[in-house]
Amino acid sequence: MSRIITIAHLYPREMNIYGDMGNIHTLVKRLQWRGYRAQVKSVEIGETFAWDEVDIVFGGGGQDSGQLVVGADLLSHGESLRAMAKDGVPMLTICGLYQLFGREFVTSTGKTIPGVGVFGATTRAGSVRMIGNIVTTGDFGELVGFENHSGQTILDAAQLPLGRTVKGYGNDPRSHREGAMRGAAIGTYLHGPILPKNPQLADHLLLAAIKRKYSVNELEPLDDLLERAAAKVAVSRPQ
Amino acid sequence: MNVTLSLLATKSAAKISQILGRGGGALPGVIAERLDGHLSGKLAAGLTGVIVITGTNGKTTTTKLIAELLTAHGVRVVTNSSGSNLKRGVTSALIAAADMKGRVPEAVGLFEVDEASLRLVAPEIKPDHIVVTNLFRDQLDRYGELDTTAALIGEGIAATSAQIYLNADDPLVASLAKYAKNSASVHYYGIEGLPVNPVGMHQTVSDSDRCPVCRSRLTFSRIFYGHVGHYKCPNGDFVRPVPEVVITNVEEADRSGSKFVLALGGKRTKFTFPLPGTYNLYNALGAVSLAYGLGIATEIMRSTLANSQAAFGRVEKIEIAGRTLCLLLIKNPAGFTQVLQTFVIGREAVRVMFVINDLAADGRDVSWLWDVPLEALAGSKPFVLTAGIRGDDMAVRLKYAGVESDSAANLSEGIDALIAATPIGDTAYILPTYTAMLMIRKVLAGRSSSMQAMPR
Repeated sequence: MSRIITIAHLYPREMNIYGDMGNIHTLVKRLQWRGYRAQVKSVEIGETFAWDEVDIVFGGGGQDSGQLVVGADLLSHGESLRAMAKDGVPMLTICGLYQLFGREFVTSTGKTIPGVGVFGATTRAGSVRMIGNIVTTGDFGELVGFENHSGQTILDAAQLPLGRTVKGYGNDPRSHREGAMRGAAIGTYLHGPILPKNPQLADHLLLAAIKRKYSVNELEPLDDLLERAAAKVAVSRPQ
Repeated sequence: MNVTLSLLATKSAAKISQILGRGGGALPGVIAERLDGHLSGKLAAGLTGVIVITGTNGKTTTTKLIAELLTAHGVRVVTNSSGSNLKRGVTSALIAAADMKGRVPEAVGLFEVDEASLRLVAPEIKPDHIVVTNLFRDQLDRYGELDTTAALIGEGIAATSAQIYLNADDPLVASLAKYAKNSASVHYYGIEGLPVNPVGMHQTVSDSDRCPVCRSRLTFSRIFYGHVGHYKCPNGDFVRPVPEVVITNVEEADRSGSKFVLALGGKRTKFTFPLPGTYNLYNALGAVSLAYGLGIATEIMRSTLANSQAAFGRVEKIEIAGRTLCLLLIKNPAGFTQVLQTFVIGREAVRVMFVINDLAADGRDVSWLWDVPLEALAGSKPFVLTAGIRGDDMAVRLKYAGVESDSAANLSEGIDALIAATPIGDTAYILPTYTAMLMIRKVLAGRSSSMQAMPR
């Protein structure tokens, strides 16, 4: 009987830009290489979803037009998502869905899209597009990726960031903070996609999931030489 | 500043740049913009007509096909090269064509223009005809989002009274009709049907499948690739326009090209076309649609298309050591997917080298490699090499797609390994990003007798 991990993929049709799908490939492969089965279920607009079967939540970024449609639907899952976050279900949200996992997103036309409030953060559309290679440092060591956003995210005083920006912008042009982390829920602006070149973060999410579901306390190590080589090159590239 | 003085300065700059071995390039245009922001407009006014090609993919090939059609029709052409499709590149091409008094020869201006630059170029050179190819996500990070790109093209269209030729099968391109001053000046081209999807690959690249009016998800009765096909809005807010220039039937399609039936205003003609792939059928359609608008004879279209050759780096074949190396430029997920589908997927023992750079002209972001369905290669045991600045990123992408690859230390070694893995008389494929393609051509130029000289 092989063990199975279920990943909820939030709005893959609307929120899947700049290779964010690669994060799903990474989670699935790194489970399979360790003998686990992986099941990915899509959360689609207007449909109900069985959250109690979910072990990991993932959501990517999208175009602004997608964000509006998704924002309204996401609210219907807000209660489930907040409860799961509190319960320690690992979550990774990127860019657009990171913003909607905060309290609210204010668009360039002044319209407020309420978020689900997993993170103590608010985002405002800004006039500067923050584009480029980004390197941060924090609990997961060095993280490398590519950011491409104009939303500026401000964290509450009590909200921890995911890391400090070493190169690039991060949440906003001034604070040198990048992303947010609350319990096992992580939000970030890093595309790249983030998980393939930062396998320690992928494994952190996977370990949290199998601990919770199967009380297994360790993951079999994998050969990450290629991943590390690619990360090393990425870190060396200009912003 | 007067035109002659501007030309004197810019032409001397071009000459000096050539002497210094930096090529002519866009330098004259850069200087011209400083001296006289309207120089391109003043020079273009002397042309007998101005044609502009824009869109994400296919600009260079479509432009080349149109140039061949015009030449066969007996019209002289002033054109820019694919690497110079910003405003300064258009200006440079005009400066090169003009004499010191600012007189251009009796010719039609044919310019490939970057999507975001159309709004800057169009008010100056006042195009009489604009062809839009398609709109896909591009990793070139300067635009941010596809809807923004469409609006930028729309701004360019709105600044002219040009005849507009739109791809009816790409919903976002078809929606650009709303920017035309006069609906009678909008013309559509499209494909009626294709033989079965050649290799039954998952169609994962769908960048624009929402109604441009109400944002509902479009329903597709046919999908030719990505979001290109026959669609309608479920609420009736938008529907695929009926094209005047149509490929009604593709009789044969393989790696050596295709045979198809083209209907021009209802009259059907058989065509053969040596550029393979569905994406090239659309390039042919864009070119023919314009030619039809210009009144070029069907027989000229037929013979020109039958003898057309790929543009530089796009299905470019180079003979070396008894093997054929085929260069297939990749720039974004849609184009990459089309190239894989046409040449690589579904074939046993295929030999491929991916060369991925992340310089400004490639796009700094390599995330897009993950939007390409490389999983489709996993079953067929291909021989795969990776190279380029971001070759390791490609190797990781392939690893998670279940495809084994080796990394080449540099381009020269990669080419050697590719040749060694290819039997004499056989073909290997090189899929480079833009700057990687330029570097590979440089390496190959020293080795192959069949290679054409670099374009200007």
